[in-house]
Amino acid sequence: MKATLEAINQMQADGIIGAYAIGGAVGATFYLAPAATVDLDVFATLPGASATGIVSLSPIYEFLTSRGGAVQDEYIVVGGWPVQFLLPGNALEQEAVARAASTDVEGAPTRVMSAEHLVAIALNTGRAKDHSRILQFLEQNAVDRKKLQDVIERHGLSAKWNQFERRFLAGTQ
Amino acid sequence: MSKPKLQARLAALSFSEKIKILEKLRDREKAIAASGLRKDKPQPHPPSDTPNKGS
Repeated sequence: MKATLEAINQMQADGIIGAYAIGGAVGATFYLAPAATVDLDVFATLPGASATGIVSLSPIYEFLTSRGGAVQDEYIVVGGWPVQFLLPGNALEQEAVARAASTDVEGAPTRVMSAEHLVAIALNTGRAKDHSRILQFLEQNAVDRKKLQDVIERHGLSAKWNQFERRFLAGTQ
Repeated sequence: MSKPKLQARLAALSFSEKIKILEKLRDREKAIAASGLRKDKPQPHPPSDTPNKGS
């Protein structure tokens, strides 16, 4: 993972990507007990993308393949980790990248989305594994419920949250 | 040790330590997948080339 993050950081230093943050299962691992995952989700902004209206991940792929990365389906394998680069597609994801927490992995600096944003994104995505992850955050008391409520309300996810509560939390609180 | 206690102990590890565990879990998953021990989907029966001779 250290080599993976160093490659991503170099890409950022070279201006290929702007701000980035780790999300998904690896991001959740920052707050939770580790659970098996095979890939790394990186939400990254692209400099100039909004100015042109054209968005392409090609510069990322070109940069990393020229340094030994291998494309594998929707992933690019860097430092032994299949990495999926995602562009923040809505205000919630943009905020999650902007407010990510700084940390490091074996000395390699990186940024991880906040627990509240990880939960809100999982809620918005809404697959079974996302619901499972939300429950892990709640069971392990790894999320600030007031902050989470704020994120949920500001990003129009109250109806989804209410539905999630009815389905999974009824009778547990 | 109870499951909640173990989870709390694992959750309290540094991110670097957790990533090492993730890498071990990932390598184990790969080894299991490569060994063919796990079949994620039931394999359909191959179509028979021979006509059904009946009993």
